[in-house]
Amino acid sequence: MKNNTNVFIKNRGILIFFAVMLLAPFLIGLLEGSSPAVILNNRGSMSKFLEGLGIEIFILAMFALSYDLLFGITGLLSFGHSMFFAVAAYLTGIALKTMHLPFWQVVLLVLLVAVIQALLFSLVLPRVKGVTFTLVSLGLASVFHIIVMSSDMINLTGADVGLQGVPVPAFISPVSERLRFYVIALSLLVATFLFYRRFVASPTGRVCVAIRENEGRAKMLGYNTTLFKIVVMVISSLTASIAGLLHALYQPIISPGVADLGYTVMGLLIVLVGGVGTLSGAIVGAFALRLLDFTLRRYIGESAAIITGAIYVIFVLFVPYGIIGTMNLRQFKTKQGWQRLLGLLKPKE
Amino acid sequence: MKTTLRKNSKAIIILVVIAAFLFVAARGMSGKDVIITVLRGFSIGSVTFLVAAGFSLIFGLLDVLNLSQGTLYMIGAYVGWTVYVRPDTFVDVLTPILLILAGFSLSSLWERFAKRIQLGAKPQKIAAWVMILVGFGLLALILTRYPIASWDLNNYSQSPITYSYMADQGMPIIPAEAVFQKISPFVAVIGILVTSSLSAFSIALLNSGTATTETANWRKYFVPGVLVLVGVLALVFNARITSWMYGMNSNWLFVIAILVSVISGVGLGALMETTLIRPLYSRPIYQLMLTLGLGTIGVQIVQAVWGRPEFVLPKPALFTGTGGVCPATNLADLFENHCSTILLLGGRVRVYDEIFIPIVGIIVLIVVWILLKRSRIGMIIRAGVQDRQMVEALGINVRRVFTLVFALGVGLAAFGGALAAPSSGLTPMMGEKLLLSALIALAIGGLTSFPGAALGSLLVGLIQQFMIKYGQIGIPLPFTDAVFKPSPPLVPASTVLLMVIVLLILPGGLLGTKE
Amino acid sequence: MTVRDTIIETQDLTKYFGAMVAVDGVSIKIQAGTLHAIIGPNGAGKTTFFNLLSGNLKPTSGKVFYKGVDLTGKPIHRMIHLGMGRSFQITNIFPNLTVHENIRLASQAMENMNFRLLLDTAKMDRCEQRTAEVIERVGLKNQSYLPARVLSHGDQRKLELGMILAPDPELLLLDEPTAGMATDQVPELITLIQDVQKSGTKTVILVEHNMNVVMSVSDRITVMHQGKVIAEGTPAEIAANHEVQTAYLGGLYDLNL
Ligand SMILES: Nc1ncnc2c1ncn2[C@@H]1O[C@H](COP(=O)(O)OP(=O)(O)OP(=O)(O)O)[C@@H](O)[C@H]1O
Ligand SMILES: [Mg+2]
Repeated sequence: MKNNTNVFIKNRGILIFFAVMLLAPFLIGLLEGSSPAVILNNRGSMSKFLEGLGIEIFILAMFALSYDLLFGITGLLSFGHSMFFAVAAYLTGIALKTMHLPFWQVVLLVLLVAVIQALLFSLVLPRVKGVTFTLVSLGLASVFHIIVMSSDMINLTGADVGLQGVPVPAFISPVSERLRFYVIALSLLVATFLFYRRFVASPTGRVCVAIRENEGRAKMLGYNTTLFKIVVMVISSLTASIAGLLHALYQPIISPGVADLGYTVMGLLIVLVGGVGTLSGAIVGAFALRLLDFTLRRYIGESAAIITGAIYVIFVLFVPYGIIGTMNLRQFKTKQGWQRLLGLLKPKE
Repeated sequence: MKTTLRKNSKAIIILVVIAAFLFVAARGMSGKDVIITVLRGFSIGSVTFLVAAGFSLIFGLLDVLNLSQGTLYMIGAYVGWTVYVRPDTFVDVLTPILLILAGFSLSSLWERFAKRIQLGAKPQKIAAWVMILVGFGLLALILTRYPIASWDLNNYSQSPITYSYMADQGMPIIPAEAVFQKISPFVAVIGILVTSSLSAFSIALLNSGTATTETANWRKYFVPGVLVLVGVLALVFNARITSWMYGMNSNWLFVIAILVSVISGVGLGALMETTLIRPLYSRPIYQLMLTLGLGTIGVQIVQAVWGRPEFVLPKPALFTGTGGVCPATNLADLFENHCSTILLLGGRVRVYDEIFIPIVGIIVLIVVWILLKRSRIGMIIRAGVQDRQMVEALGINVRRVFTLVFALGVGLAAFGGALAAPSSGLTPMMGEKLLLSALIALAIGGLTSFPGAALGSLLVGLIQQFMIKYGQIGIPLPFTDAVFKPSPPLVPASTVLLMVIVLLILPGGLLGTKE
Repeated sequence: MTVRDTIIETQDLTKYFGAMVAVDGVSIKIQAGTLHAIIGPNGAGKTTFFNLLSGNLKPTSGKVFYKGVDLTGKPIHRMIHLGMGRSFQITNIFPNLTVHENIRLASQAMENMNFRLLLDTAKMDRCEQRTAEVIERVGLKNQSYLPARVLSHGDQRKLELGMILAPDPELLLLDEPTAGMATDQVPELITLIQDVQKSGTKTVILVEHNMNVVMSVSDRITVMHQGKVIAEGTPAEIAANHEVQTAYLGGLYDLNL
């Protein structure tokens, strides 16, 4: 019983987030004067548009979460992360459009390929460490990007134009069933987040943190660090692939930009702005950046990317712990201050 | 003894493998194909080498992976293009840039004011931020009103593509001059100086808490003085310099273009190292993320300024001769007529792309090699790569050496960009592609090894070119009649494959040290 | 038990760094249940010898046998599962994790639960209990929820020792556990080490520069000099050994006899 309440209290932040996000379309609907029934039938205009924005943010947040697990928690800096996302997106598109597979098979295929990719990366993991791993991952992902972009593959991938006209199963069509899509994407994000939380508190997750802090020591403690890294790789790849699958279903065009180094940088940027290694930072960062980007694009057009870039640099230089990290630090400091004040600097419990 | 032998045996094995590879690769080809492919490989290899060598120097000494190296290569190309095709824009831009630089180096002038006012730490911080905002805001305001002749991305007839094309046809368009309308030249000059020095000063204030006091001497004012002087002169004689440059022999203009792009690369490098990289030496991962971010910002900026579409930097007259005895069959014809192509074993070889670039690459290789081996600074660099603590212990100003090496490395990349532009063309994508090749080359050759950079670049260039060639003529598969034509995506894929194989066997690369 | 078993044995163990030999043909046998000290001047090769025993370095030649099993080529992460724990001369901890987490990670390795992805570590009772015990034992109870990096150097040394005690190994390799500690803290730590060794049937190999400590606590002593073993015996034998005296006279340390 005690544990049960604990679970809810421990995760109250994300649960409140879930509830608010579920209600948001209806609230916005009320603001624009459409009744909940209208929203349920996907006939609202403003709310439908914002649902779309929400879906994009959820997908980004999921991608960023998977990156945070790899980089923020385990300390593996991969520059090829967009490959997981892009492979899933393209695979979904091609499987639906060219191979005409039923939807459940597509999902299975995507997950299977995600695992295979992660194992492919894991092949080089024990050999190349640190910087070299970063470079190798960049190399692998760049090859995929180039293949996607090449004109030989135009029938499959649409080359530099992107993959268009993917037949999305009607029951989750982002046009006619957007609210359902929205709820699915939101639930997947929340579920992933809860799982990640759990994972970081699990024995496996703790070892991953130890690997980030001091891999040599973790080995000496008796952990086969390579195995842990592979596990993380697989989880991260699966998450990024689910995000990629959603992306392929939601976007009318899968642009080759998602296979680009720039997309990995996007994930890195979100994690950085939100707070490296905090998990919730990935969601906060995705919201902050997507909304900012959206507003900027509205007012200053294409050069918004330059401003986003400047923000990135400012965060790297001046706010290394990101929004959540800095907040936690503040909190910790105030807490410590209080405890010191009261002479209570004792272990909790 | 034993170690030298082992080193040599490794080198010999590598050479034998490469020779065997070349032999096998060349067997299915005619002589002229082989020659052209090898020369192109050298050409691509040379350009890759320029970027990779800079990267490796910087990584070796500073431990900084400069992932913006590709972008800086691209910027070098675009700067070179601007000087060569639009000298008027270049001259217009020169004045504000020099003035801003002067302003930044004059920032210590403000110290006198600052010393009078004593503020607490917090008000000082706030004051600094306010001054930064005011300084940069006003600077931006002035700059938006400053007249600069430019192109128009939305108007095809005035786009970079058109300017390039016309210049290539020998009929360069000479655009109208930009004139001062929204701001008077006097206000502009003084305004830029004041606002930029104010911003620089407040940044210094922010960083150090209190501004540093150095002893005043004439040198402190010499550099800014010269900068201001040149900037103002460029403003006063703007029209004359512009028309002089437009009327100039294209070969000399090309030399100037390359020089300017190298100088701007060196300047950018120095600026980056001192302002952005330096605060992050204690956080290497953030350094990596920073250079990566700067790289992507650079691409965005280039896209915003020069546009997305591809255009070329026309070749100077020395390499464009046609007709008559061209394509040349002997050196005398070549030199007399400045032929654009020559015949080698019956194959047409482009002089600039396939002869000139590799020669320049080899010259740079030798020059940098000698610099590293013989000069004092080279000695410090090599010692630093081996053991940084020791160099620091010897009391050498490592900071300055770091800045110098970073600037040099970036300068090499910018040089590569300007050099490659007439052959490869300019697109905002060029940097990323080249960075990838350079990284692969380095991973193959060894991340901190200078000869490794050369060897790796050469290998990458050769493999790419052989793959491309085979993509055209096909590889007859053994025991069958089928012909396999590697498609273009296999070109980079093959180099990555080589990289992975090399790294799995030798994690440190071919010529790198172990671990 | 009169004749004790050999727990670890080296045969002709040699390690070159480039042309320099750091450990030169060392063959020793260490008996189970003893406290065995290794001494020698700076640069004698003690740490390198430890690195060879624990698998952190691969020997140029020679072999290490642990309970009769050849250790050569075994990955480092197997060592603790064989029952061998090792501390470092230069503090080697997880600086950003709490003291509790540092120790907990060390105990967790012995549970076969590493890949239970959804298990909350707080519910691993045995592991938590062990962690609490160890923290108590090394005297860090009041600091257990502080990040390890803010501890004083002496406390970090205690933490390091705790991380070895947590998995309860049979053989402890301690490389100058008191290095850099305040003098008044040293006896406490040494007593702790002695306790650990006596209470279980544990073997401790100790590298230590403080001769008083070495002479009073060890059962046997091995003296290394320039990579070679120059003497081995009981504290009394070593104190009387002429060669040891000269080795130390040439070095920085005084035998304090
Ligand atoms: N990784 C290494 N590479 C090269 N030389 C090394 C390395 N590690 C140790 N050495 C050298 O090997 C020799 C033995 O070093 P070691 O650290 O084993 O001595 P030690 O007996 O532990 O000394 P101390 O009492 O100072 O700890 C020294 O000369 C040292 O410089
Ligand atoms: Mg030692």
